[in-house]
Amino acid sequence: MVSILVSSSEEFSGKSSICMGLGKIFQKSGLKIGYMKPVGNLLIDVDGSLTDEDSEGIKNLLGIADSAKYVTPIHLTDSLIDDALKGVEKDLDKRLSDAFSVISKDKDVIFVEGTGCIGGGSMYGLSDPEVASKLGIPMMLVTRFDSISAIDRILCDVRIVGDKANLTGVILNEVPRNMEDRVTEIVVPFLERKGIKVFGVIYEDHTLRSVFISEIVEDLHAEVLVAPDKLDQLVENYLVGAMEVGSAIKYFRRQPNSVVITGGDRADIQMAAIDSRVKCLILTGNMRPSGAVLASAEEAGIPVILVRGDTMNTIERMEHLIGHAHIKQQVKLDRVTELLRNHLDITAIAESIGVELNE
Amino acid sequence: MLEKMFNPDSVAVIGASRKEGKVGRAVLENLMQNSELTIIPINPNVDEILGLPCYHNILEVPTETQVDLAIVVVPAKFVPGSIDECGRAGVTNVIVISAGFKEAGIEGSRLERECIALSKKYGINLIGPNCLGIIDTASGLNASFAANMAYEGNIAMMSQSGAICTVTLDWAERIGVGFSKFISLGNKAVLAENDFLQLFENDPSTAVIAAYLEGVKDGPEFIRIAERVSRSKPIIIVKSGRTSVGSKAVSSHTGTLAGSDAAYNAAFKQGGVLRADSLEEMLDYSRAFSVCPLPEGRNIAIVTNAGGLGILTADACYNSGLSIASFEEKTVERLREKLPPAANFYDPVDVLGDAGADLYEHALDVVLDDINVNGIIVLVSPQSMTDVPGIAEKVAEKIKESKKPILCNFAGGSRIAEGEEILNKYGIPNYSSAERAVASMNALCNYYTIKNHKRGKPAETKADWEYARSFMDEASENKRRMHGLESLDILKAYDIPVVDSRIAKTLPDAIKAAEDMGYPIVMKILSPDISHKSDVGGIRLNLRHADDVERAYNSMMSDVRHYMPDATITGVQLQKMISGGKEVIIGMDRDPQFGPLLMFGLGGTYVEFLKDVSFAVAPITEAEARHMVSSIKTYPLIAGVRGEASSDIDSIVQTLLKVSQLVTDFPEILEFEINPLMVMPEGQGCVAMDIRFTLNLNE
Repeated sequence: MVSILVSSSEEFSGKSSICMGLGKIFQKSGLKIGYMKPVGNLLIDVDGSLTDEDSEGIKNLLGIADSAKYVTPIHLTDSLIDDALKGVEKDLDKRLSDAFSVISKDKDVIFVEGTGCIGGGSMYGLSDPEVASKLGIPMMLVTRFDSISAIDRILCDVRIVGDKANLTGVILNEVPRNMEDRVTEIVVPFLERKGIKVFGVIYEDHTLRSVFISEIVEDLHAEVLVAPDKLDQLVENYLVGAMEVGSAIKYFRRQPNSVVITGGDRADIQMAAIDSRVKCLILTGNMRPSGAVLASAEEAGIPVILVRGDTMNTIERMEHLIGHAHIKQQVKLDRVTELLRNHLDITAIAESIGVELNE
Repeated sequence: MLEKMFNPDSVAVIGASRKEGKVGRAVLENLMQNSELTIIPINPNVDEILGLPCYHNILEVPTETQVDLAIVVVPAKFVPGSIDECGRAGVTNVIVISAGFKEAGIEGSRLERECIALSKKYGINLIGPNCLGIIDTASGLNASFAANMAYEGNIAMMSQSGAICTVTLDWAERIGVGFSKFISLGNKAVLAENDFLQLFENDPSTAVIAAYLEGVKDGPEFIRIAERVSRSKPIIIVKSGRTSVGSKAVSSHTGTLAGSDAAYNAAFKQGGVLRADSLEEMLDYSRAFSVCPLPEGRNIAIVTNAGGLGILTADACYNSGLSIASFEEKTVERLREKLPPAANFYDPVDVLGDAGADLYEHALDVVLDDINVNGIIVLVSPQSMTDVPGIAEKVAEKIKESKKPILCNFAGGSRIAEGEEILNKYGIPNYSSAERAVASMNALCNYYTIKNHKRGKPAETKADWEYARSFMDEASENKRRMHGLESLDILKAYDIPVVDSRIAKTLPDAIKAAEDMGYPIVMKILSPDISHKSDVGGIRLNLRHADDVERAYNSMMSDVRHYMPDATITGVQLQKMISGGKEVIIGMDRDPQFGPLLMFGLGGTYVEFLKDVSFAVAPITEAEARHMVSSIKTYPLIAGVRGEASSDIDSIVQTLLKVSQLVTDFPEILEFEINPLMVMPEGQGCVAMDIRFTLNLNE
C-alpha cells in the first residue's frame, strides 16, 4: 500500500477534484483506492452522524465502502479549536493513525486530502505537512494559478513543507487561457529549475466552474414557478438585472449562459432575459411575476425560480455557489478525469507515489 | 381574405346566453341590430334564445346554412374545443372574445398555443382571444360586446386594448365621429396589425387608419407593409410603453418586450407612419384626415378674430416647422376691399372682434385663392358681437368645398358650444386649442410628403461575403462572442477603410512594429473583455519613439491589470496616429421587434450624455443614410462651422450603407460599433479606428 497527501496553497483550489479524478483513473487501472480527509471542515449531517461534505461526495462517486468515521475521523468543530487553544489533550494523533490503519486495509493507493490550505490545522498539530509526517507519506501540491503571484505561494509552501515530508511535485490548476504561453514557456521551466516537479497545467474549465440550476434551487430554498423539468442545466455565471431595459438586453446577450437575478416586479427585465434566452431567472423578494411573463418563460422553456431573500442576499449566495460547487454529479466527474488525463503526467504521478499503472 | 369576417351573411355565437349582463347575451343583442343577418346562437343547454332557434353545437347547424363567422364567448378552457368544432364545421372566420389566455398565465398560454395550432390546421382566420370584438359600419355588423354601435365614417381603428376601444367608441358617440371598421386586436394570437393594415388598404370605406398598439408582432414585415399602405392611406399610431415605467407595464401586461422607443420611431418613420403621442392626438389627426384634402406645402394662413390667438397660432406653426404664408399682392388688396381698416391684411389675417360670418367668408375665399397658401387655420373667439353659429355654418360650408385643408379652433367654453355642435353635425373637428389644430395641420403636411415620397430600394454595396462568412464560422467554432480591435478585418471585407495597424504580443514585438510603422503612433490594449479602453488606461496616444513605446506598454499593462484583473489580454495594437479628422460613431443594436437598428452620432466624450444620435432600421437606402447624418443636432459641426472645411460626409454615408449591409447579411451580429470612425475633410474619406461587436452563438 502506498499513499499521498494532496495539499494546496489556498482553499477551493481543486484538491477534492484531483483526489476524485486520480482515484477514478487509478481505479480504472485495476488498483484498489482508499480515500481520507482526516480533518473535516465542511461538516454535514448524513443519516444522523456528522461528516465532511467533500469526503461524503468522493466516497459516493468512487464507490468507497469505508465508514465515514474512518474517512474523516476528526471534525473541525468550535470545541476542537477551543480545546486546542486551551491545551486540552484530544489524542488527535492516535485517532488519525488508527483511522489510517483501518482505511489502509486491502488498498493499493490511498489519497489523503488536506484541510483548507497547507498551514491550516497548525494550532492542533495537524497542518498538512504534519499529517504527512505523522503518517509517513509524501505530499503533492495543487495551486490555483490565478495570477503570477501563485509562484510566490508555491515557493513559500515548499519552505513550509521543509523536511517534514517529501513534496513530490505541483499541479497548476485553473490557469487562465490567456496565460497559457507564459505559464508553459516561462513559469514551468522556472519551477523545474528550482527543483519543483510540475505534474501538469490544467486550464480554467467552464463545466467545472458552473452549477446546475437544481443546485441553485436547493441552495436558495427557492420555489420553482416554471419549467421544473429544465433544472438539469449548467450555468456559468450570474447577472444582476437592475438597470434600464435597453442596457439589460445588451448585458444579457453578451453572456447568455447565465442566470439572471432580478426583482419579481421588474417585468421589463424579466422579458429582456427571456428574450435573450438566458438559462434561468431568479426572482427575489418573494414577489411573484405577472401571469403573462410566466407564460412567456414557459413558452421559451426558461426556468423561473422565486426566492425569499432580497437581491443582495441572493447575489452573495450565488457568489459562493459558482466556482465553489462541489462535484456531486457524474457529468462533472467525467469532465475532471478527462482534464486530468489530457493535462497531467499521470505516469509521473504514479511513479512518484510508487505504483505502476497498467495501460 | 377577410371579406366574410366583416361582411358575413350568417354569424354563430358560441356561448350565446339569454341572461342579462352576460357577454353571450350582449354580443347577440348587438348582432341583432342588423335584421338582415342570420344569427345562430349555440348553447348546449337551451333550444331558443331571444326568439332565435339555438343549436347545442356548431356541428348541428344544418349544412345548407353556411356559417361565415363564429364568435366564441365560452370560458377559456372550452375555447380550443369550440375552435376545433368550427374547423370541422368548415367555419373559417372566428373571433374569440373570451379572456383567460396568455395574459392570465401558464395555463392560459397553453390554451392559446392550442388555439393557434387549431387555426393553422383548419386555415381559420382568428381575431383575439381576449378582445372586445369587431364592428363594421359599412356592412352593419356589430360583432362585439361594446355598449354602442359606431357611427358610419371613414376612419378604421384597431386597438390592442379592449378598454381603449370602449373609451374611443364612447367619445366618438358623444361628438358624432364615425368609423368604417373597428377592431379589438386582443392577444393577437393569429391575426395582428399587419393583416389589418392590408385589409384597410383595400377597404373602399376606409380613408384613414388609426391604431393603439403596445407592440408589433412582426417588425420587419410591419415596416414593409406600412410603407406600402401609407402611400395610399395615412396611418396614425399611438404606441404606448415609451418610458421605462411604461415598458415595464407593457411587459407585465402582455408578456412581451415593449421594444426600444428609438426603434419604433425609426420604424414608423421608414414605414411612413405618423406617430401620435396620445389618444387625443391620434383622434385629432384622424379627424383632420377624415375631412380634409392634403396640403401641397407647409405654408399656412391664419384667419382670426382675435390678435392674441393669431400670435399664439403663429408661434405654434413655427415650432412645428410650418411656415406662415407670404400672401400675393392681390390677396392683400382683396382683403382690404372688405375688411375694416384696422384689420390685419397679412398673415395672420385679423378680421377683428366684431366680424360676422360674411367677413370670415370673404377672408377665407381670398386666402384660399392665394397660391402661396397650402392650408388654413381658422380661429374664432366668442366676443360680444360674434355670431358663433353663423360663422360655424359658413366655415363648415367652406371646409366641405375647399381643395385646401382648413382646421378650426373655436376657442372658449359654453359660448362656442353651439358652433362646435354645428361643426360636429358636418363631421368637422373643432380643436380646443390652436396648438392642437396646428399639430393636426402639421400631420397633414407630413403625410403629404410621405405620400409623395418613394423610398426606393436599400442600397447594395460590394462585399467579400465569403471571407465574412468564414470569419463568423470560425468565431462560432471557437466560441468567441465578443470581438474588438483584433477583428478589424471584418470591416475590410466590406470595403470599409481601417487604420493602418499592427498587433504585438510582447514589448519587443511592440517596439519592432512601431519602428517599422514610423512615428507618431497610438497604442491600444487588445482584450475581448474590455469595451471602454480609455476607462482602464488601455489607450496611449502620440508615442514618438521607442522609449515612449516601452513606457506606454509597461504602464498600460499595470493599469489594465489593476482595473480589470480578470480581463484576458491578448497583446496591444499599434496604430498610425491620425490627426485632422472628426470622430463619429456608427453603431447597431439588434432590436427584438425590428431587427438591426443602426445608430449614428458624433464621437467624443459628451456623446453618451447628449444623446444626440439618429436611428434607422437596416437595410437602409442612401437617402436614409444621408438623413441619418444630417438629422443630428450637431450636424453643423460635421458640415463645417464658421469657415471650417466640411468633413467628408459622402464617406460617412457610404460607411453607413456598408455597415447596414454587413448587419443585414449576418443576423448573428447582435451589436456592432465603429467608434471612432475618423472622418477627414471633404474628399479625403474616413477611417475606422476601433470596433467592437457581439455575436450570437446560440443559433
